[in-house]
Amino acid sequence: MALVHKLLNGTYILRKCPKPGVASCPFLSTRFADYCSSSLEKPVAAPGKASSQRKTEGNLEGHHQREVALDITSPEDKPEVSFDKAIKEEIKDHFRRLKDDIVNHWIGPEGRPLHEVLMEQAKVVWQFRGKEDLDKWIVTSDKTIGGRSEVFLKMGRSNQSALLYGTLSSEAPQDGESGRSGYCAMISKIPTGPFERKRFYDWSQFNTLYLRVRGDGRPWMVNIREDTDVIQRKDQMYSYFMFTRGGPYWQEVKIPFSKFFFSNRGRIRDAQYQLLLDKISSIGFTLADKVDGPFFLEIDFIGVFTDPAHTEEFAYENSPELNPRLFK
Amino acid sequence: MNPFISIMLLSTLVLSTMIVTISSHWLFAWIGLEMNMMAIIPIMMKKPTPRATEASTKYFLTQATASALLMLAIIINLMYSSQWTIMKLFNPTASILMTMALAIKLGLAPFHFWVPEVTQGIPLTTGLILLTWQKLAPISILYQISPSINLHLMITMSFLSILIGGWGGLNQTQLRKIMAYSSIAHMGWMTTILLYNPSLTMLNLLIYIIMTFTMFTLLAQNSTTTTLLLSQTWNTMPIMTTFTMLTLLSMGGLPPLTGFMPKWMIIQELTKNESLLLPTLMAITALLNLYFYMRLAYSTALTLFPSTNNMKMKWQFYPTKQMTLLPTAIVLSTMLLPLTPMFFILL
Repeated sequence: MALVHKLLNGTYILRKCPKPGVASCPFLSTRFADYCSSSLEKPVAAPGKASSQRKTEGNLEGHHQREVALDITSPEDKPEVSFDKAIKEEIKDHFRRLKDDIVNHWIGPEGRPLHEVLMEQAKVVWQFRGKEDLDKWIVTSDKTIGGRSEVFLKMGRSNQSALLYGTLSSEAPQDGESGRSGYCAMISKIPTGPFERKRFYDWSQFNTLYLRVRGDGRPWMVNIREDTDVIQRKDQMYSYFMFTRGGPYWQEVKIPFSKFFFSNRGRIRDAQYQLLLDKISSIGFTLADKVDGPFFLEIDFIGVFTDPAHTEEFAYENSPELNPRLFK
Repeated sequence: MNPFISIMLLSTLVLSTMIVTISSHWLFAWIGLEMNMMAIIPIMMKKPTPRATEASTKYFLTQATASALLMLAIIINLMYSSQWTIMKLFNPTASILMTMALAIKLGLAPFHFWVPEVTQGIPLTTGLILLTWQKLAPISILYQISPSINLHLMITMSFLSILIGGWGGLNQTQLRKIMAYSSIAHMGWMTTILLYNPSLTMLNLLIYIIMTFTMFTLLAQNSTTTTLLLSQTWNTMPIMTTFTMLTLLSMGGLPPLTGFMPKWMIIQELTKNESLLLPTLMAITALLNLYFYMRLAYSTALTLFPSTNNMKMKWQFYPTKQMTLLPTAIVLSTMLLPLTPMFFILL
């Protein structure tokens, strides 16, 4: 609890998350509309309209105009942007970010002095305090393969949390090849630098993931992906489970990084490898517990910290029977 | 790894470098480089973690590209000289292509991107082999073709390497990446003087190998891979902090340590050849390297880095890891400066 207070009151230095270019340019918002439903505003709206769409809170039921379901774009709003102007703005934005990058490199890693980065023991990585925080996430469900689950993301009460809600349906799509279905996920966008260069998080100072959530009793899976340049590793991820308790109280979930197990293409592998924390690309929450019906998950913030009592490096062993290749 | 396979791979590694260095036929030199690459890939994959696999893939792709370019340069040279003997190249195109191919192999800028990524993905001892032994073969070929290398290309690549090696290493917390950027910068110094006095390249390579070997062996004692872990070595092995500091300062080129010798010789040789701006810029850019070495030395040995209480009282176990040649290497990497006249005459 004390840790929560410290994190929220800013005793530890908060990381300034660079705003992704997506939110700042309507042109880019349009491009992302096809697969991103995390934005509060309609993807084709001009920035002037976005502020008028901010409303007070609604319920779980009923769709507001500002939530966008997957793959549905509003027919009535036309894009009111000038193509040339948008291109020029984007180029200027990228050069500005490049200049900031160079200046930040001189100051230290992530734009802060090195001693500050090394002495940091807790860090809030993602928090939900405004619409721009929701734009850092992508929400997806089995609708992409023809299923019937629905998932939405919106800001919670008083803009103090994010609410991920929807309906899970494990009815398999009638396409003749899928036997199973029923998943919903919320994945963080990969951080990008100037000219959409892929970035990664360096959490090698920390050893535990900290989540302040309020769920409905459903078990969620927390997935972490590492940054990679080879395409064969795009399906590899490290996962662990988060059991929510339901109820009115906030739940603080601490998952040490040593507990994450390795899986490739959705299957847990016999050969287990440790999650290396120096190149983290994204984190995601998946619900696939085969229970049809509505769900919700409220997230206050996601942070990482060093638990000095936790000295385990890796929780799983490889055995010669399952994997003789590793013991040759 | 199975000891037989380990012996076979290590002997192939040694043999391949020897084939490259003593060969006088271009095809055999190329074969030696290929064998070198093939032998080190399984060594890098000793523990087949996804990160090591990615590092090996990146290494293989870059080295294979460089080998293909090298073969193209050899064939162009064959077209113009109608012989396979390794001597100066007879065509400027072949010279440029070969220089670029060997720059990729060495990790010179602007072909340096693979070095930090690959070094970070592999264990410390394999990183040591990658940054020391793997440099011998390409440098030996560069030495042999040095009369025909394009001066402007080489100087540009060298200075860019020194700059990028200094700039890139500034913000790193991972020690293997710091050593990778240090390697890029040192390669820059070595190749700058190649066209003026190749013997000094050899001297620089020798001193660099000794210092890098010392540094990696010190890091491997405690398996330290981050700056934070290095700053806690005062607790487990206090004497190592002193040696780490001295080796880091030597790598930064501070007199009276050994690392000053190659820098001094190179600057002297460049000024003798009436090049004044280049050594000035090189010396100034070397300060970037010195800055991050100093920062490491500062957090390791000169100050007690902040840590939690349970880090302050560790048991000091008797070291079980073999400190192969470590005392010799430490002495060589810190106390060789008075022997400069000897090296000057020998080389």
